[in-house]
Amino acid sequence: MSADNEQEAREQLIDLAAQFYDQFELGEIPHMSVPTRTKNNIEYDEEKDVWVYGDRESTRSANSVRGARKLLKAVYTIEFLADQLDEGRSSTLRELYYLSESWDNEEAQFSDQDESNQLVEDLEIVSGATREDFHMRPEESGATIMGPLHLREQTRRGEREIHCQKDVGEGGYQIPNNPDTIEFLDCDADFILAVETGGMRDRLVENGFDDEYNALIVHLKGQPARATRRITKRLHDELDLPVTVFTDGDPWSYRIYGSVAYGSIKSAHLSEYLATPEAQFIGIQPADIVEYELPTDPLSDSDVNALESELEDPRFQTDYWEEQIELQLEIEKKSEQQSLASHGLDFVTETYLPERLDEMGVL
Amino acid sequence: MTSFQSTLGEEPGIAEELAESQQAISIAEFFEKNKHMLGFDSGARGLVTAVKEAVDNALDAAEEAGILPDIYVEIQEEGDYYRLIVEDNGPGLTKESLPKVFGKLLYGSRFHAREQSRGQQGIGISAAVLYSQLTSGKPAKITSRTEGSSEAQYFELIVDTDDNEPEISVEETTTWDRPHGTRIELEMEANMRARQQLHDYIKHTAVVNPHARLELREPQAHFKFERATDQLPEETEEIRPHPHGVELGTVMKMLTATDSQTVSGFLQEEFTRVGKKTADSIIDAFRDRHYGREMRWRPPAVHEDVDLHAAVEDATANKGADATAAFAEAIAEEVDGYDRIAHHELLEVVDEAAEAVEDDHGTTFGDTVRENAVAAVWRDLVDATSEDEAADGDGDAGADEPGESRLVADLYDLADEATSTRKDDEVVRAFAERLAGKFDDATEDDVRHRLTRDDLVAYVDRAADLTEEYDDVAFGDTARENVVEAIWDVMATVPDDPPLVRELNGDRDATSDLVDGMRATDIMAPPTRCLSPISADLIEAGLEKEFDADFYASATRDAEVSGGDPFIVEAGIAYGGELESEGGADVMRFANRVPLVYQRGACATTDVVKSIGWRNYGLDQPGGSGLPKGPAVIMVHVASTNVPFTSESKDAVANVPEIEDEIELAIREAARELKSYLNKRRSMQKRRKKQNVLGKILPEMAEKVAEVTGREEPDIDDAIARIMNNVLVERQVEENGDSKAVSVVVENNSGTNESLEITDIVSAEPTDLSDGATVVEMDGEWFVKWEPEVSSDDEATLEYEVPDGASCDLDVKGVESEKLTVNEQ
Repeated sequence: MSADNEQEAREQLIDLAAQFYDQFELGEIPHMSVPTRTKNNIEYDEEKDVWVYGDRESTRSANSVRGARKLLKAVYTIEFLADQLDEGRSSTLRELYYLSESWDNEEAQFSDQDESNQLVEDLEIVSGATREDFHMRPEESGATIMGPLHLREQTRRGEREIHCQKDVGEGGYQIPNNPDTIEFLDCDADFILAVETGGMRDRLVENGFDDEYNALIVHLKGQPARATRRITKRLHDELDLPVTVFTDGDPWSYRIYGSVAYGSIKSAHLSEYLATPEAQFIGIQPADIVEYELPTDPLSDSDVNALESELEDPRFQTDYWEEQIELQLEIEKKSEQQSLASHGLDFVTETYLPERLDEMGVL
Repeated sequence: MTSFQSTLGEEPGIAEELAESQQAISIAEFFEKNKHMLGFDSGARGLVTAVKEAVDNALDAAEEAGILPDIYVEIQEEGDYYRLIVEDNGPGLTKESLPKVFGKLLYGSRFHAREQSRGQQGIGISAAVLYSQLTSGKPAKITSRTEGSSEAQYFELIVDTDDNEPEISVEETTTWDRPHGTRIELEMEANMRARQQLHDYIKHTAVVNPHARLELREPQAHFKFERATDQLPEETEEIRPHPHGVELGTVMKMLTATDSQTVSGFLQEEFTRVGKKTADSIIDAFRDRHYGREMRWRPPAVHEDVDLHAAVEDATANKGADATAAFAEAIAEEVDGYDRIAHHELLEVVDEAAEAVEDDHGTTFGDTVRENAVAAVWRDLVDATSEDEAADGDGDAGADEPGESRLVADLYDLADEATSTRKDDEVVRAFAERLAGKFDDATEDDVRHRLTRDDLVAYVDRAADLTEEYDDVAFGDTARENVVEAIWDVMATVPDDPPLVRELNGDRDATSDLVDGMRATDIMAPPTRCLSPISADLIEAGLEKEFDADFYASATRDAEVSGGDPFIVEAGIAYGGELESEGGADVMRFANRVPLVYQRGACATTDVVKSIGWRNYGLDQPGGSGLPKGPAVIMVHVASTNVPFTSESKDAVANVPEIEDEIELAIREAARELKSYLNKRRSMQKRRKKQNVLGKILPEMAEKVAEVTGREEPDIDDAIARIMNNVLVERQVEENGDSKAVSVVVENNSGTNESLEITDIVSAEPTDLSDGATVVEMDGEWFVKWEPEVSSDDEATLEYEVPDGASCDLDVKGVESEKLTVNEQ
C-alpha cells in the first residue's frame, strides 16, 4: 500500500462529508446510499467471476432519529479516520468503538461494536477504499500457514524472510493483518489445504501431511478473517496453487467455504479482492457421512433453517450444493471433521484426504 | 283456671288468633322502620339525602313554572343537631296541597305522568320530614308564598305515621321577603362526615343545570354556583306509553280503564306513536299470533289433471247451465290468477263470483251453493278425497300418481328452496311427504289449514324428526327454521275481526298475543318532547365550567324505549389538564339531571364503564377491564320518564339491558373522540420528541461537517422542515432599488393538504399584491391576509412590494405549531 492510496482514501472521506454539507445547503435531507447487504442483493459478476452487490440500495437518511444518529456518527468517524491518516497511525475496529466514548457528543457514540463495524463497512463501500486504506485493523489476527513456502514480510522492524516450514514452530507462520505487505519468494507446494478447525490442522501437521503431499495448510479459524482470505487469494492468483477447503459437515461450515470461494455477503464490495472462486470443497460432505459411516449428531432446528436458507442463497445455487444440502436435509445428520477419528487417527491423512483429493483431481 | 287441654277446643282457632294481630301497615310506618331504603341510613348520609330531595323538588318546581331556579341551601349547627334550610323561588304551594306534599308519603304529581322530572314517587321530601321528626322530635317548618298573594303561609307539621297523613301543629299566615317560593327548615340528627358527597352533589347539580343558581352555606364555608345560561331546559310534555316495552300486566290494566271499544281505537288512543296504519300492523301481528295464518296453496297448473271448472259445476245444482258455467268460469279463472290461495281468499273469490253472476243472470247464489263451491274447489286444491271418490276407490285423481299429492309437490318446492342444496333430493321429498301428511291430517279438524306459528313449528319438527328417524339423515335446527320461515312467509294473515276491548279485557292469553304483536311491529321511536336531555353542547359547557381539562367530548343518543318509557342517554368525557392523573377516572352519574352520589358500585352506569375496553380508546386499564386510569372524568346522564332505580333512595340505575346498551353506545361515541384526540396528541408528542432530538443532532452534524470540510456552517432549517414533514413558511426579501420585493413561500412537506391563514403585518403600504391576498389597514399597519390551500408536497407563493425600510411580522395559523417551521428573513 502506498501513501497515494492513503491520500486518496482520505480525500474520498472528506468528499463524503462535503456531500452532506451540500445537501444541507440545498435544503435537502442529508443522506447516503449504500448497497443493501443481504443475500437477496448479491449477484454473480460474470466478468470477474465473483459475487458482488446488486442494484438494491439502503439509504441512511437523517429523515428519522435513527438515521440522523447514524449520519452524525459517520461524520465523527470520517473526522477520526481523516485525522488518523494525517498522522500515519492505525487502530483496530474495537479501538474505534471504545474511542467513540471520548467524543464530546454523546449522540455520536457507538452503542455496540457491530454498529461501528457496520459503519466502517459503509464508509468502505461509499468511498471505494478498503478498511486497510483507512488504517483500520480487525481485532482477530490472521490465522496461520504451514507448508513449503518461502516469503518476505514487510514488518515495522524491517523486512523478514521466512520459510513457512523451516523457520516456524509447530504453530506455523502467522498471517499479518495486511497480507499485501508480503512478497512470495519461492514455493514448493502443490496445493492449498484450508482447514476450519485447529484440532484438525494440528492433526494434519502432526501426521506430516504438509510434507508428504506438499500441501500449504492454511488454518481458517472458523469464519476466515479478511487477511486469511486475501492471502489465500494471492497464493492462488500469483502462485497458481489450487485451493481446497476442508471443514465440518454442517451448514455453518459450508458458509466458511462460501466466504473463501465466493466472498461474504458483508464484504461483497471487496469480493474481487478477497474471493477465490476456484476454491474447491473437500468435505465433510453429507455424502461422506453416508459413505464413511461417520459418527453424527442430529440436525438442530437452526441447522435446518440454515440449510434451507442456503438453498435460497444465490452463492449456493449450483447442482453440487443443492444435491449435498438436500441429502443432508434428508438424512438429518451432521458430522465434525474430527469424527473421522472414529476410523483411527491416521484415517484422515492416509485414507480420507487422499481419496477426496484424488476424486477432485488435485492429487 | 282450667287446664289448657280442656279449653283448647273452645277457644277460637289459632289462625283466627293470629289474624287478630295482623293489620295493615301504613307506608309511613314502613319507611319509618326502613329509612335506609330512602337513603337515610346514617346521620351523615341523611343530611345529604335531605338536601338532595329538597333541591330536586325546588328545581322541578321552578322549572315547571318557567322560572330560572335560584336555590339557597343552608346548614346550621344547632347543638347536637343540624338545621337544614332550603329556599327556592318556585311558584309556591297552595294552603291545601302544602301539608300533603310535605307530610304524606307517596303524594305527588309525577307518579302517573310519563314525563321527565327529578322527583317521581312523591316520597323524597316527606321522607326527609319523617327523618327529621324521628331524630330530633321537632316538626318541619315550612313557609310558602304563591305568586301574587300578599302573604305567605307558615306551617309546622309532622307525618303521622299511623295513617300517613300530615299532622299540623302550627298554621298561620306570615310575611316573607320572597315574592314567591318555598322554604323548608328541618332539624335532624346528622353530621358533616359526608361533606364531600354533599359538595359533589351540589357541584354536579351545577354541571347539569347550567340555568340554575345555587348557593350553599355551611357552618364554615360558603359556595356559590352562578348561572351559565338564562335558557331554561325545554319544557317537557307528558306522553302516553310507547307500545314497545309495556308489560302484559300494564296492558291488562289499561284495557280495563280505556273508553275505546275496538282494539284499534285502544291502541291509537292509549299509546304514543300509534296511528291507523300502525294499529293495523299491530292487529295483523296480533291475528297471526291469536288466530294463526292460513296456508295458501298453489292453484293447479295446466299440466295438472285438476279441473276446478268441472268441480264447481259438479257442486252447483239447479242454477241453470249458463249461470252455473259462468259461476264456475269466474271462480276457476280468478283462482288461477292467484300465485297461492288461502281458504279465506277462496271464500272471497267465490262470493265475488256469485255476486257477479247473480247480477248478470238474475239467479240467486245462496250460502249453501257458495259453500258447496268453496268446499269443492278447496278439496281439489288440497287434494283431499271427497267422500264419493273415497267410496269410488279408483277415481282418476289418485290413480295415476298414488301418494304424490298436490300438497307434497307444493311443500317439496318450498322445502327444497329453503334448505341447503347439499340436502339429498330424496330426503327433502320424504320430508315434504310427511309434512303434507300433517296438513292432510289437519284437514279433518280444520279444512282451512289455519295454523299458528307454533303449530307450524310442531308440524315441521314432527316431519323432520320422522325423516331423521326413518331415513337416517340429519335435519338440523337451521334447516327446520328455514323451512318454517319459508312456509310462514307464504301463509296468509286471516281477516278475522280482532276481539273488542271488552272481550279482550280479562282474556290473559289474547292480551298476551296483543302485547307480543305490539313488540313485533316496527313502531317509530317515542317522541322526545317528554324528555329533557342536557344536549351534547351543554354537557361540554358544563364540564368545561367545572373541570379544567385539555379535552372535552360528549354524545347524546337518540331516544329509545324501555318498559314503555322513552329514555335518552348522554355521555361526556373530560381528559387531561388539571384532572387528577393518579388512580382511576372519575365517573359522574346523573339521572334526570340529578347527580347520583351513593352506591356507585351498584349502578348500571359504573358496570358499563367497567366493561368497556378502554385501552382501545387510549386510556390505561389495568387487566383490560374495570375503571380506566388516568386524568379523566366520565359523565353519564340517563334521562327517562321513569328511570329504573335499584331502590327508592334513587342512588343507582338498575341494570336494564336496553339502558345499559345505550349507556355503552353513548360512552363509546364520546370515547371515540377521545381516542382520536389522544392519537393525535401522541403523534404530536412523537413529532415533538423527534424534532427535539433532530434539533440537537442535525446542528451538531452540520457543525462537524463544516469542520471536516473546512467551510462555513451550512443553513439547515429547510432540511429540518423537510425531515419533519413540516409546513415551511419562508419569507424572502429582495432589495429592488428603493423598494423591497417580498415573497412568502409555503412549502407543504406533510402528507396531507393544509389550509393556512397567513397574516403579514407590514409597517408601510404594500403594493403589487399577488392574487388571493387582501390588505387591511389598521392604525398605520397593513395586514396582508392570505389563506392558501397547499396540497401535500406542493408550494404556494405570496408576493408583494413594500418601500425600503418597511418591517414585516409574519403570523401563521391553521397548522399545529409542531408541524410548522416559520423562517423570516
